[in-house]
Amino acid sequence: MKILEKSQLIKNQELSAKDNLESFCQIIKNVNPEINAFLEINKDQAMEKAQDIDSRIENGEKVGKLAGLVIGVKNNISVEDFLITAASRTLENYQGSYDATVVKRIKEEDGVIIGVTNLDEFAAGSSTETSYYGPTQNPAAPGLIPGGSSGGSAAAVAAGMCDLALGSDTGGSIRNPASHCGIMGFKPTYGAVSRQGLLDLAMSMDQIGPLASDVSGIALLLDVIGGLDPRECTTLDWQAPLYTPALQDPLDHLNGVRLGVLKESFDVTDGPIVKIIEDRLAELEGFGVELVELNFEYLDLCLPTCYLINYVEFFSATRKYDGRKYGHRIEEVCGEEVLRRIHMGSYISQKEYSGKYYKKALQARSLIKKEINRLLSGVDVLISPTVPKLPHKIGAELDTMEMYAYDTLTVVANLAGIPAASIPAGIVKGVPIGMQMQAKARDDLKILQLMSFIENNL
Amino acid sequence: MICGLEIHVQLDTNSKLFCDCPTNYQEAAINHNICYVCFNQPGAKPYPPNHEAIDGAIKIALMLGCKITPELTYFQRKHYDYPDLPSGYQRTSIPIGFEGDLNGVRIREVHLEEDPGQYKPDLGIVDFNRSGIPLIEIVTEPDMTSPEEARKFLKELIRVLEYSGSARGEGTMRADVNISLEGGKRAEIKNVNSIKGAYKALKFEMVRQKNLIKRGIEVKQETRAFLESQMITVPMRLKEEADDYRYIPDPDLPPMLAEEEHVEYVREHMPEPSHIKTERFVKEYSIPEDHARVLTSEIDLANAFEEVAREVDPKFAALWMRDEVKRVVYYNKLKFKESEITPAQLVELFNMLLNKKITTKAGQRIMEKLPKNSKMPSTIAEEMGLLGVVEVDEVKRAVKQVLKENPEAVNDYYKGQKKALNYLVGQVMKLTRGKADPSHTNQLIRDELEVKD
Ligand SMILES: [Zn+2]
Repeated sequence: MKILEKSQLIKNQELSAKDNLESFCQIIKNVNPEINAFLEINKDQAMEKAQDIDSRIENGEKVGKLAGLVIGVKNNISVEDFLITAASRTLENYQGSYDATVVKRIKEEDGVIIGVTNLDEFAAGSSTETSYYGPTQNPAAPGLIPGGSSGGSAAAVAAGMCDLALGSDTGGSIRNPASHCGIMGFKPTYGAVSRQGLLDLAMSMDQIGPLASDVSGIALLLDVIGGLDPRECTTLDWQAPLYTPALQDPLDHLNGVRLGVLKESFDVTDGPIVKIIEDRLAELEGFGVELVELNFEYLDLCLPTCYLINYVEFFSATRKYDGRKYGHRIEEVCGEEVLRRIHMGSYISQKEYSGKYYKKALQARSLIKKEINRLLSGVDVLISPTVPKLPHKIGAELDTMEMYAYDTLTVVANLAGIPAASIPAGIVKGVPIGMQMQAKARDDLKILQLMSFIENNL
Repeated sequence: MICGLEIHVQLDTNSKLFCDCPTNYQEAAINHNICYVCFNQPGAKPYPPNHEAIDGAIKIALMLGCKITPELTYFQRKHYDYPDLPSGYQRTSIPIGFEGDLNGVRIREVHLEEDPGQYKPDLGIVDFNRSGIPLIEIVTEPDMTSPEEARKFLKELIRVLEYSGSARGEGTMRADVNISLEGGKRAEIKNVNSIKGAYKALKFEMVRQKNLIKRGIEVKQETRAFLESQMITVPMRLKEEADDYRYIPDPDLPPMLAEEEHVEYVREHMPEPSHIKTERFVKEYSIPEDHARVLTSEIDLANAFEEVAREVDPKFAALWMRDEVKRVVYYNKLKFKESEITPAQLVELFNMLLNKKITTKAGQRIMEKLPKNSKMPSTIAEEMGLLGVVEVDEVKRAVKQVLKENPEAVNDYYKGQKKALNYLVGQVMKLTRGKADPSHTNQLIRDELEVKD
């Protein structure tokens, strides 16, 4: 059943919010000890909210867009009264003292927040193995990583532990685990969703977005969390699209739709994954799309550029974890990858080196941005694989560059601030494969409409 | 010697620079005026910068004759590790104004910053009430050549800031003072918190460096701390890498464009700066510079003077306002504004004086009654019986009476005691209820005593 349909059932009293919550709680109880998607749940609070929603529906009172839907929140997004650790020992005792804007909006629209989900420490990873609270299993491919860093949110949705989940995406952290877990993930245009309350990884690239098992869930959550936040300076003041209503009127053909295919993205991707994406593209051609092969010469530049900026911004963002307020000094308790990023950030932002690295990275970024916008100017949506390779076994030893390579195709959207999503496209060796779609900044709706078409027709 | 200054003063806004917390940090209980933004809790982002603060900075920059940066202004993160800094970095804007001038001292730049909290090592706590209050930093070129010049500059600067109505004044001032003598390197003195402190620090440093140079010892480039209690400077221990703040543009705050129209709007609505007003008063009203400086010491006094000068001879008004108004206001420990003395009261009083309706002495007594008094001088004069200058005959009668009633004083006068004359004048004044003219009375008494001789 689609999320939107379920939402209607709840509003029509065919399914109570309480029963919906109960069944998820049962699943969480059964599978979470194995999967480790949720770090903390608060059933009592969620139940209170669900019962309140039910009684309001019974009394004929108005309820919000998310009424009764059960939602997990990545644990780097501030939720009052949950421990907000970002899966780091640094913040093991830090209790959220305020709601992030997205959480406020979810609560206002009667979403039922059941708990907080696992992630790579401070979202700095692509496997959810670096969590202080242990790795998360991939429910779609047991024994393998779920991807990351929003691995907990993706696994929670994939394992049916909640209706919807929030993730954050700095270099692919929503799309990558969505791809590996066989669900959908959407990284909106930079500024389309408020970051107020999102723990920083790299502020100029971080963006909150939804994960769901179907497009209606993505649309519903986008409708709720998006839009100007007068208290977050980087949010866009724009006429944000209405996603859910757009789904009521789906495209029945794709005539005239131009899809750009980035040649270089296929060059760096494993053969079986390429094959799946090519099959999907061929099917889409059958519905009238025009495929446009494009060359993106700067693909090699994207990963190093993204990481250099990430290091510097993350170094800056973690200076507050100096041991004075939150108990631990980050450098003394964090994991290897977080420490690497802090040290690298500290090193390359020094006065004598910043010209050589950080400023160069910013220049490269504007070059990349310009080029990707040029490529996008002739097409509606760019298509590529989401991740160029299959996920590894939990615990396998990978060197840093092998690890970073997971992000090869996703970082460009963060560098350029454009919207991007991942949708299930097929299976290789029992592992789900995602197809990535990217569009011009503010063309989020184009991606969503294409996702909806694929969901309905392919 | 040459000296340059970096002066920080708080801007007078209702809320902090990047959140809605109030700015009355001294009145509030410790860590009461904080929120997740100014305490920088994990995930917190700054709210859009406080417009009052941005406009205040633009206004002050304009009043200091600065050009306003035509390009994008943005905030940078200045990283350093100190307990009073909740985020581990301080947000500081690139220059908003540059290339200004205040009485011949060039202003290099004016920019905006957020104040850190207050670390209180004695109590072992950090109070973050101050964290996030907007600060303006004014950086001069090294254009001052003596401690006196630096003091004069700072006094004038504080006046400009007071005039702007956007800053908090000397009480919130923190300055870094740079000084170098010929043949020596530059020393930077930190922890200077008052104009007097800046003066004393420069005096001390000048002597210290002179002595080193005289003895042939090299003056190192160094940072020194000023110890207010002892009025001396001492070397400051600096951590390694302390200089590297790893500046980066703050990704949470997009660049802002100071729109030309908006800058012009601020320019049109800003008060005339004190130093320019002083010059204008000298020219426009033909009054001496020292009069003009006193009259412009407070913007309300200056405005009152201009209103009065439309009705009364400006030179006469300037003299009375410099001496008598200032004396009475100062005696009552008030600012002119707080005294509630109105231009209308002053105009009437000065006209009474100019038209010889009252004596100078009576005028002074009426002036003393003016603070926080809505009555007009004519009413006050009537109530106190001060109206009318006493006829000469009446004074003469009074003189005769006083001399008759005070033979001892008269004797003393003849013995050469000058004090006796003053006593006798005082008695005549008393008898005429202050209406007699003191110098004239003095003459009359002497005439009378000489005749007897
Ligand atoms: Zn605050």
